[in-house]
Order: sequence, then structure tokens, then C-alpha cells
Amino acid sequence: MTGQSMKKGVDRRQFLATGAAVLGASVTGFPAVLRAQEQTVKIGLIHPVTGFIAFSGTQCREGALMAIADINAAGGIKSLGGAKLEAVLADSQGKPEIGAAEVTKMVEGGIHGIVAGYASSISLATSQEAAKTNTPHVVDVGVSDQIVNRGLANTFRFSPGYGKIAEFAVSNLDTINKAAGSPAKTAMIIHEESLFGTGTAELLSKALPEKGIEVIDVIKHANPTRDFTNIVLQIKSKKPDLIIPANYYNEYVLLARTMRQQKVEAKGIYSVLGGAASSPKFVAEFPEAAEQIMDCNHWYDPTSDLALQRKAAAEAKGLTYTYEVFLAYNAVAFLADAIERAGSTDKEAVIAAMGSSTFDKHGMPYGPTKMVNGQNEGAQPVNTQVQKGSIEVIYPDKFASAKPIFPMAL
Amino acid sequence: MRQLLVLLAVFSAIAVLPAVITSEFSLNIVIMMLYAALLGQAWNILGGYGGQFSFGHAAYFGTGAYAVAVLQVQLGINPWIGMVAGALLAMAVAAFIGFATFRTGLRGSYFALVTLAFAEVLRILSNSVDFTGAGVGILIPLAPGPGNLQFETKTGFFFLIWSFTLAAFLAVWWIGHSRFGASLAAVRDNEEAARALGVNAFRVKMGAIILSGLFGGLAGVFYAQYFLYLDPYIAYGPAISVESLLVPIIGGMGTLFGPLLGAVALHTVSELTRELIGDVPGISLAIYGALLVGMVLFLPRGLAGIAARFTRRNKPAGTETRHA
Repeated sequence: MTGQSMKKGVDRRQFLATGAAVLGASVTGFPAVLRAQEQTVKIGLIHPVTGFIAFSGTQCREGALMAIADINAAGGIKSLGGAKLEAVLADSQGKPEIGAAEVTKMVEGGIHGIVAGYASSISLATSQEAAKTNTPHVVDVGVSDQIVNRGLANTFRFSPGYGKIAEFAVSNLDTINKAAGSPAKTAMIIHEESLFGTGTAELLSKALPEKGIEVIDVIKHANPTRDFTNIVLQIKSKKPDLIIPANYYNEYVLLARTMRQQKVEAKGIYSVLGGAASSPKFVAEFPEAAEQIMDCNHWYDPTSDLALQRKAAAEAKGLTYTYEVFLAYNAVAFLADAIERAGSTDKEAVIAAMGSSTFDKHGMPYGPTKMVNGQNEGAQPVNTQVQKGSIEVIYPDKFASAKPIFPMAL
Repeated sequence: MRQLLVLLAVFSAIAVLPAVITSEFSLNIVIMMLYAALLGQAWNILGGYGGQFSFGHAAYFGTGAYAVAVLQVQLGINPWIGMVAGALLAMAVAAFIGFATFRTGLRGSYFALVTLAFAEVLRILSNSVDFTGAGVGILIPLAPGPGNLQFETKTGFFFLIWSFTLAAFLAVWWIGHSRFGASLAAVRDNEEAARALGVNAFRVKMGAIILSGLFGGLAGVFYAQYFLYLDPYIAYGPAISVESLLVPIIGGMGTLFGPLLGAVALHTVSELTRELIGDVPGISLAIYGALLVGMVLFLPRGLAGIAARFTRRNKPAGTETRHA
């Protein structure tokens, strides 16, 4: 060590002393700060606002904050004397263990309910941690069926899970295919490697052959993947009638663009929970790549005035109205509705109110809420298709804003 | 012996923390510090004491984690048995990697790259086979109870990770004071010279990597039982390998207390940045990263180097000793 660096020893001692002091504060002090306020209903929002799924996590956070702002503007929780909702924000950084740690911190801070955590892996961790203290927990987007199949009394999901989505996707694809004279006989599935993509691919691989569509290949890719050339060349060589992507936003965009660049010809691109296929951002930025892609995904009811009002409000704030926004919005609204009906923030009472919920002010194509083992049985996805730069609902007919174009006619 | 007494005093003091800390969140921070110290010490045995820089400690971590999870979920085997199996399997993986690399004479960056590759291969394998749950991952049922190696409160988990970490530190203390440790340091400092003096470098390095694998595997077992969910990226992803080496680099490689200091420093900085400016996405991570860079730049021998410098400053000239 040089003399110069030795002189810095005093500063380092100070640094260490300060570090020890702040460690003490972190170990003993911060929960007390969180306990300070009692006049509001505290809603914990845990989302991955940094990391590789930061865009989706941020969208979730924005949707949830919109809901809190709207509920507060409408008078708060009336059964609690107009108590306002207070958002307690946390960033899971895309890591389940950090999500779980944030739950612990929030519970000690007197949180009344939690909405989390976008990705299934994070939702599994946060709901489980919340279950240890029976804290009401609503999963906003995570689609793994394991989330609600573990028998955790505190955990609810307002939106549909894999099983329902895959069943719906296959059934609707069969309907669309048959209506067009069954042009699709083969399919390739391109999916990301985590729980979401793998689970979707597994379900479709089993279900599609039962509908007369042979799955000729399933290609898994890592997150992140930034070059889809080889995968697209494989698609070109195998010439499937249907290409089925199941990936997060960035990978979906890159895959779709590469397919257009390589001039892949298929009768249809049919996504299941396509990360970008139902994204206005993708459609606006890459209209040629997006055109006529079909998706089976979360979507609002385009015939609902409430949904359209919320969409307009979100867009007025500069938000892209993606599924993360309206699912997180509704997760918060569902929780707030339960607190309203419970007339209390008592955990048991709120959980009981969520279990018996018939919440219907959601603007989703769901019908009244009916919770069975924490899962909203009324929740369902819809089929969308990008038509002339606009995302249209093409199925079910009850909610449709356009007819499907299949096979693709570009 | 003085060092052992200090070590036991430190861990005794840590053991009192659950009685002092009433906040589960705060206790969770301590648990995660001990977990990071265990991971870091596992790396330190091979990297710090043995001079073999591994970039793939996730291989041992993931093997321990998956072993306890798969045995429990797929075969219904009690996790206490799974814990032993996980540790043994992690040691076996370490032995395999060690044999494949040391027998062929790989060192330095070549060794680092191969260890990274092994971890990636295991990640891809675990992503491809059914019994690990593939990309869907594996979920251990929540069933609190000591018999299930799960605990109602964090205190139980605290003592589980405390005992694992204490075992790792005692092992490292033993290394620092044993013939094996002296041989390991000799191999680290100059392998050819060590060979010329009759040290069986291959055997010594194998011992180090297997011991390192044991504690890496135990860290994985703890993670699996604490968070009850694993997927290939969590178990074998690069984040674990990076955390394993970052902790002793910050704390002080090749020192007994380095991983503990590094774990405390990293988690303190991380928690503080998240706590103070966590609502602004990314800022806390940016500050955390900048602080890490600063620590690496200005503390090349880690936090333990500061203590060593003060110790030397207070010693008469000519009495300086170097511990392995």
C-alpha cells in the first residue's frame, strides 16, 4: 500500500463506523419507520421494476397505482370512513428471494394486503411468504397454476392461469382453424425457458395433437436471447403451418421481426400469452412484424365502457395500455373491494371477503368473480389479432370487435 | 488458537441475535448475510486459499438445492436425509469437475471458464429433464415443522444457516492451521515450487474443491428449504456464481473472516440503497454497483486487508507473519 492510500485509513475507519451504524439501523430501525402511520389502508405492491422484466414490472406498478389513485379519488374505503389506500412500493428485481424479503418487511410495517409479483416465480415466493402471516395476497399476472394449487388460504388470483388459458387457446384455435377449412395441420412452438414459456409449451404439446395439429418441433431459448436467426432458419426449414411463440416482450419482438426479415411463410402466427402480440407498443413500433399475428392473452372487454374509460385515462397519462396495466389495476381493485365489503382490515375478514367476492367492476371479459380455491373461475383470456395496425378481439364472439383473418393474407 | 477464540466469540455473538432482534425482516437480513457468508466461504476455500478462481460455484449450490428438492418432492424422502444427500452430491460434482480440470492441468482463466461452462451445462440439463421440473421449476410444499426442515419462524432457519456457516468457518480455520492448508497455500503461491517440495498438487486441489463443493451444496440446501422454490436459473444461474466470488473479493480473499465481512458489507449496502431510494427504479442498483466498484478499487485486499494493515502497523518490525 502506498503512503497515499494509508492516509485514507481514517476515512475508512469512519466508513466502517458509519457502516456499522447504518447496519444497526437496517437491522433494528426501519420497520419502526414503516409502523408510523395508521390512518390509511396499506397496499403493498411488489413488482420487478428493475432487471430483465422491468418493462412489465413497471407497467404493473403503474396500473396498480392508477387503481389506488382512482379508488382514493372516489372516496377511499367508505366502510372504513373513507380511509385512503396507501401504496407501499417494492422492487423484487426479478428475484424471488428479494420479493419474499419485501413481503416480510411489509408485514412488519403493518401492510393490509399485497399485490404481486408479475412473474410466476416471484408470485410463488411472495404469496408463500405472505401465507406465513396469513396476509391477504393477490397475484396480478403470474399464470402458474401452482400459485393457487398449494392450498394457501391467503392467496388469490383474479386473472386466469395456465390451465385455463392453454385450454382456451387450443379450443379457440381449433374453432378458428375449422372455420377456415382446417388449413393448419402442423405447428412449431418457440418458447422461453422459464416457468411461463415451458409450462405453456408442455400444455400445448399435449393438447394440439388432440385437435389434429401435429407439433413438429418445440424450440426453447434462453432469457435474454438477442439473435433469433438460427431459430428462424429452423422454422423456415420445417415449414410449419402455425408458429406458436410463448416469450417475454423483448424476445417476442425480436423473434417476430426476424421472422419478417427472413420472410417466413406460415398460415398463421398464433401466440399464447405472447409477450408482445397484444402489446400496443409492439404494434405501434413494428407494425409490419405485428400484422395479423393472433394471440390468446389477457385483454379487456372492448365492449365495456368502464374498460375503455380506464384505457383512455391510462393513455392520457402516457401509459401504453398493456395487459400488465389492467391486470394489476384489477388486482388492486379486487382487493380494495374485499376490504370495502369486509369493513375491516382484519386479515381473516379480508380473506373471507375475497373468497366470497362477486366483484364485477373490472371491465374484463370475465363476468362476476367467483373464487374457487383462490382462483377466479370466471376469468378467461380472449383471442386478439393485429389487423391494420390495431389490436382487435376476434374471439369469443360475445366480445369480438373483428372477424379473424386466417390463414394470414399479407 | 487466538483466531479460533475470536471466531467462536463472533459466532457466539451472532447466535444471540435472534434473542435481540424482534423483527423478522431484520432477522431475515442477518440470515441472508450468513447465507452469503457461507457461499463466499465455499468459494474462498478454493479461490482464496487454493488460488483456483471458479466462476461456476452455482454447480455445487444448484446440485445441493435440487437434490434436497427432488428427493423430497419426487421420492418423498425426508429433507434431513436430502440435506446429507445434497451435500454428498455437491461434493461428487465438485470431485468430477476437479478431476476433469486439475488432471488436465487447467489453471487460471482456463479453469475459470471451464467451471462456468460446467454450471451452464448443469443449468441446461436441469432445464431439460422432467424430474427437476425443467423450466417450470420445482416447488417444495409449505409444511412448517422441524421434521420437514422448515420452521414456523425465521429463528429456526437462522440456526440452520448459522450452524452451516459456523461449520464452514471452522473448516477454513482448520485449513489455515493444518498441513493441508500449508500445502494448499504453497500450490496457490507457486505450484511448480510446491511440486518440487513434494506437495501432491492434484490431491491438494481436489481436497479443496470437494470441501468447497460441500459448503456450496449446503448453501443450496438451505436456499431450497428457505424459499421452497427452484428453477434452473435460480439454482445454476450465473448470479449465484457471481455472489459466491464477490463476497470474499469484497471481504478479503484467503482470509478467515473475509467472507463474513464481505457478506455483511454487501448486504448492508444493498439494504441501505434499497431502503433509502428503493422507490426510484434502478437507482439503488446503480449506487450499489458504484459502491462495489469503489470497494474493489480502493480495497484491493478486501475489508479484511484493513484489519491486517492495522495489525501490521502495531507490530514491531520483523514480526509480520502471513496466514494462509
